[in-house]
Amino acid sequence: MKPSEPNNPWERLTAAARRAEDTRDTAAPYGFATRVAALGLAPRQPDASLFARFSLRALGFACLLTAAAFASNYSLIASVSAPEDEMAATDDPVAEVIDIAS
Amino acid sequence: MADDQSFDLAGCLDRVRLRDQAAARELVDHLYPLVIRIVRAHLPRRVAEEDLSQEIFMKMFTRMGQYQGAVPFSHWVSRIAVTTCIDHLRAQKRRPEFRWADLSENEAKVLDAVMTDDKAVGAGEAMAAHELVHKLIDQLKPDDRLVIQLLDLEQKTIAEISALLGWNASLVKVRAFRARRKLQKLFEELKRRERS
Repeated sequence: MKPSEPNNPWERLTAAARRAEDTRDTAAPYGFATRVAALGLAPRQPDASLFARFSLRALGFACLLTAAAFASNYSLIASVSAPEDEMAATDDPVAEVIDIAS
Repeated sequence: MADDQSFDLAGCLDRVRLRDQAAARELVDHLYPLVIRIVRAHLPRRVAEEDLSQEIFMKMFTRMGQYQGAVPFSHWVSRIAVTTCIDHLRAQKRRPEFRWADLSENEAKVLDAVMTDDKAVGAGEAMAAHELVHKLIDQLKPDDRLVIQLLDLEQKTIAEISALLGWNASLVKVRAFRARRKLQKLFEELKRRERS
């Protein structure tokens, strides 16, 4: 489809399309220039400092370590907390009253 | 940009560099017609023209320090506008499917007229032809679409497109060739469907 072919459909179509006039307004909408100028000249946020970037990484690393430590010691934590749960259940006054009543 | 002669662009740029708000407002008002024309010509689907214009102006202010004056300021801003539009077009993962059934009555009439050599497209159908062209070029890859639009609709030369996009002339020609080949296939397909 060479553009110089007078009868090629694309050429004829674009020739017709070029006749369409865009009558829309090209002036900036009210307040647009003020808003854009204010945003454009606003002082930019300084980049995160080296310390800030490293603290975020350290926080992420600490979270990972916590999760890993919890996962690897889960059985130990579960065994230690189980008797306390039983004790807590027996220490419960409501449970004791129900127990006596029955 | 109607009052090009009276507007002191160099002076305005100097004041903007000194962070003068009033000068920045004047600059935006002065360049808005240029930017909005580019945005309207290359507006991706589902993107508001005002949002895109604002993004272009923000980039202009951010990169103001990089402007060396080697090209006219309006060319430099046009390049920012076109590259911003193409970034948005590239970000659109899917292109709408082109279907004969989706064409309006006028668009179908125009398509029939351009595919039949003995029929001329009426002057009153220019808007339908414009809509149809955009539906067809929406089928192209963003870069190819941009080149064919600049070449065939805005009638820019290869050298102008090359300068505007920062691509070499061979790349522009290759993209134009590829786009026209795809359009030809599309027309052939439409002809086949019309006959069936």
